[in-house]
Formats: sequence, C-alpha cells, structure tokens
Amino acid sequence: MLLGAATGPITEPLTGRRWEPDEVRRQVLHRAAGLRAGGIRQGNRVLIGYGNCLEFFADLLALWTVGACAIPLDARLTPFEIETLSRAARARAYIGLGDVDADLTRKLEALGTTVMLSDAIGAEPIDPALPVPPYRLDDDALILFTSGTTGNPKGVVHTHRSLRARWFSLRGHLGLEKYRRTLCLLPTHFGHGLICNALFPWLSGQELFILPPFTPDAVMRLGEILDQQRITFMSSVPSVWRLALKTARPPSAGTLQRVFVGSAPLSAHLWRDIQRWSGTRDVANAYGITETGSWVAGTTVGEFEPEDGLIGVPWGAVAAITREGTADAPPGVGEPCGAGDVGFVWLNTPALMKGYLDRDDLTAQCVTAGWFLTGDLGLLDDRGWLYLRGRVRDEINKGGAKVYPADIEAVTEQFAGVNDLCCFAVDDPHYGQNVGLVLVMTDPTPARLRGLYAWLQAHLAEHQMPVKWFLTDNLPRTSRGKISRDRIAEVCKGLSPLDLRAVLGGAP
Amino acid sequence: MNRADQRAVLLRFLESIRKPDRPLNDLSDDDHLIQSGLIDSLAVLEIVAFLEQEFGVDFAEGGIDPSRLATINRILDLVAQQRA
Repeated sequence: MLLGAATGPITEPLTGRRWEPDEVRRQVLHRAAGLRAGGIRQGNRVLIGYGNCLEFFADLLALWTVGACAIPLDARLTPFEIETLSRAARARAYIGLGDVDADLTRKLEALGTTVMLSDAIGAEPIDPALPVPPYRLDDDALILFTSGTTGNPKGVVHTHRSLRARWFSLRGHLGLEKYRRTLCLLPTHFGHGLICNALFPWLSGQELFILPPFTPDAVMRLGEILDQQRITFMSSVPSVWRLALKTARPPSAGTLQRVFVGSAPLSAHLWRDIQRWSGTRDVANAYGITETGSWVAGTTVGEFEPEDGLIGVPWGAVAAITREGTADAPPGVGEPCGAGDVGFVWLNTPALMKGYLDRDDLTAQCVTAGWFLTGDLGLLDDRGWLYLRGRVRDEINKGGAKVYPADIEAVTEQFAGVNDLCCFAVDDPHYGQNVGLVLVMTDPTPARLRGLYAWLQAHLAEHQMPVKWFLTDNLPRTSRGKISRDRIAEVCKGLSPLDLRAVLGGAP
Repeated sequence: MNRADQRAVLLRFLESIRKPDRPLNDLSDDDHLIQSGLIDSLAVLEIVAFLEQEFGVDFAEGGIDPSRLATINRILDLVAQQRA
C-alpha cells in the first residue's frame, strides 16, 4: 500500500516516541505475523478500536499486508455501538490497545468477533515466509462508518484502487514539498484525518507527527508544537482553530508553509485570523467527503481573498451543479446550473467509494453513472471555482464531527414514556452546532428524565449526547405528516430548554 | 477580592458550565476539571473568557499554559499571579 519505497518516520510529539521507516517496517511485519497467527486472512474485516498513535498506523499497514480490510473506529463509542458496527461488518476481529472493556469483550465474542491486543500481535516473531501482500486493487481496504452506530450503520467502503486514486491525484495537484513535516491532530477514524491528513503524506515518504485528536492541551500548545517539530503542514477544523486562536501563542519559527481547514464551514473572518496567526497566506479551505476519499477540492488557486463558502478548484475530480438533487438526474441528464447559479453539487472522481457496506439502497440514492450526489448546495462561478452555500444532508456538524439525528432518535424512541421526539441542530458558540432534542413524553418527572439520560449515556458516545432538551405537547409536522428538523429548531428557539443540571441533581 | 471570594465566584461560574450529570460538590480544588469529567474539553474556552472578563487576566500576549487551567487551585493561582 506504500506509495513510495517506504513510509516516512512517525512521531508522537507529546510523548516523544518516534519510529524511523525501518522500525515502521519491522513493526508492520511483526503485526502481520501476529494477525496471521490469530487467524486473520485475506478479505477478513477487522475493527481497530483506537487511533492517533504509532501502533494504530502499524496495525493498519499490517492488516493491508495480510490482505484484510481495516475498520478504524471512534474510540469514544460505547460497547453497544461497537457491537452494532461489528455485527453490521461481520468483523472477524477487533484490535484494542491496552485493556479492552470486559462488557465489550463479551459482546464481541458473542458475535464471533475475536478480540486481539495490539501489543500482543506486535510481539509475534516476524514470519520470514510472509507472502507479498495478497490483495488486488479492487479488494476492500478501508471501511469508515459515518452514521448508524445505534441502528443501521452506514459504512463507506474504499478499495485499494479508490484510495490510491485519491492519493495520487493529491500528489499531482498539491505536490509533496509542503508536506515534508505534516502534523495530524484530527481523529484517524474519519476520512479527513486518516486518508488525507495522515496517510497521503506519510505513505509518500514524508514525516508524520501524530497528536491525540482534538485535545485542548495540545491545541493550546499548538504554536509551541509547530515550532519544536518544525511543522510545514497541518490540517484541522474550524472549532480547533477557534480554540487555538484564543489560547495558543502563534508559531515564531516560520516553518509552516500550508494550512488546510475542512469538515465544517469556514468563515472569511476566521480564515483571515488563521492566516494572521499561522504566518502564512497559504491557508486553504479543503472540501472533503468520506465517500470521495476526503479532500476533493480546495483553495489552491493562487492569489485570492477569503470569502464565506469559497472552496476553489477540484483535485482529481470534476464538479458539476444541477438543478435537481436526485440520483436519476445526474449531470448530462439533469438540467445544469449556469455560472453563479446555486444548485446541487455532484462530483465525478476515480477516488469514489465502492459503495455503502451492504446498503445498495443508500448507494443508489447518491451514486449514478459515476457521479456522486454530495448532499451539498453550491455553485461554480465563471472561473470554475466552487462555492458551497448549504447542505441538504441530515446531519449535525459538531466542530467537524458529524452527528446523525437518526442515531440519537433510534436510541431515544426505545425509552418507555417517549411518545414522540426529534433530534436537531442547535447553535453552539464553540462547536458551531450541537445536539438538541425535543420530546413529547408521558409523565416527564425528574426521575423519568434521569432514567432517559442514563439510557442515552449507556448507548451514545459522549459527543452524541444531546446538550439541550426541550419538552413539548406535540411536534409540528408538515401537511404530509413529516417532521422538519429546521422547523422544529426554529420552534424550540422560543422554548426554554430543560435545566438538566437541576433535573439530574434534584429530588425524584 | 480575596482568594476565598475569587473561589466563590469561580465556583458559581463552573456551576453554570459543568456537565449536567457531574455535580460540582463531588470535586476537590485539586481535581482536574476535564479529566474528572466536570466540563467538556472545549469549555476551557469559556473559562478563558470568564477569567478575562471577571479578573482581567490577559492571555493575548503569551497564550495559555493549559496546566494552569487544570484545577480550581491552579486557576486561582493564575489569577493571583496576574494581579500581583
């Protein structure tokens, strides 16, 4: 899977641990032998339950070395959610780092998913007879679950071919020079952090510096880390920048050559602040979608002034805008938008996913004739620059992490006494958006609400927990009986949220 | 305002930003605010804004050493140093 003769070195700036390319190779070979000894074979799907450290990257390459498909998970998921994903993926194994929760182990073993420990597989002697990686380019390489952790998982399947298409097109459009010393502080379980920020430069032989994801302590020291490690490139999300701009001293060494910001809308104001703080004008808004292997367009357009919604030019893709947002009217069939007219954004790229895991129905809704319907609204101007103007996707963008209302609703509706509900986005000064929940309940006593809170905590990762709760007698519906999340969000602005602190700390 | 008064003001503020299920009275003055689960990691931003506004702490110059915002006692030490 290497794009050059070897990976680059990899360093954890906070711990000082560092592996040179030879050590990376040695670690991968140990782990490949450990995986084979544990019964992992070509085509098996294996969950990786942790990320953002040296061992994660070695385990990932080891899985590819034995021909398996890797499924990196958000380490914050509850055992219930991991069980849900393992069942959906029919995972052969789960790799953990350190102790694995006993409840999770029981759940996985009941599914036939073997629990393996990274340290143990890394201790297996190297097998001199280890075959050349047996996979074919069209074999599954990576599955990234983007939603459905509580019910109907939506797993984006990338093959070795689609990943290579992304990396080679990025190399062609971006070069490698500015990525010599790349910092990744994004989670390695989603496309932006893993495929592009980390693997694109590292598998091309550049040096990777990996931090724990979204750790405030590290963000507050960002300027110091950039200087100490002489970082030339980093990518991040707007909420991290809001924290860094407020709390971290700017870098002074002048090594930073390029910065990408992605995964959430970037305002012109924040854009200019990042340029000032980072000391480089080469700050690009990077547009990435997991389904397209993440970064698919950005502001590599020479001289420009930051503008709200400006993305720039496609990288290894063709963008088109149409007036209709349905899969039966792709570009060439549906009516095209003229320059400057807002419509539905489509992308055509060889880096497009193979499809959603076992969800041909979902794949058919957004992939047709090689085109991918992004779920974003936007325009192409007369220069061919892409601008985004909104989303039609049903998601809450919490500081770059996507939270899917249906995941929260699927858990909430199972609680006794909840008669109707809706999960929606509420404004948040730090994350941009956060999770709101409005409930119609029978007898919503404090005790019952505490029970519901505990139920949600047991089934949802912390970042999915609703932070603003509302009670109402009924939910407004459209004439067809459907719920409009936007309409409900507006209605709830006129309601007082529950005082959860009082409810959870109060008397029955 | 002496340290006890400052502490009372700080506790009132923390009460307003703590997670709903993490009572403030479970916390000692030396417990880590984030690691204990009392506040969300990005709530540090709210603490920064509060210290600027309430106690005139100036973070603009040298940024923030996160360890100095880690506990109630360390925050009070920071306020005292800035005011000295």
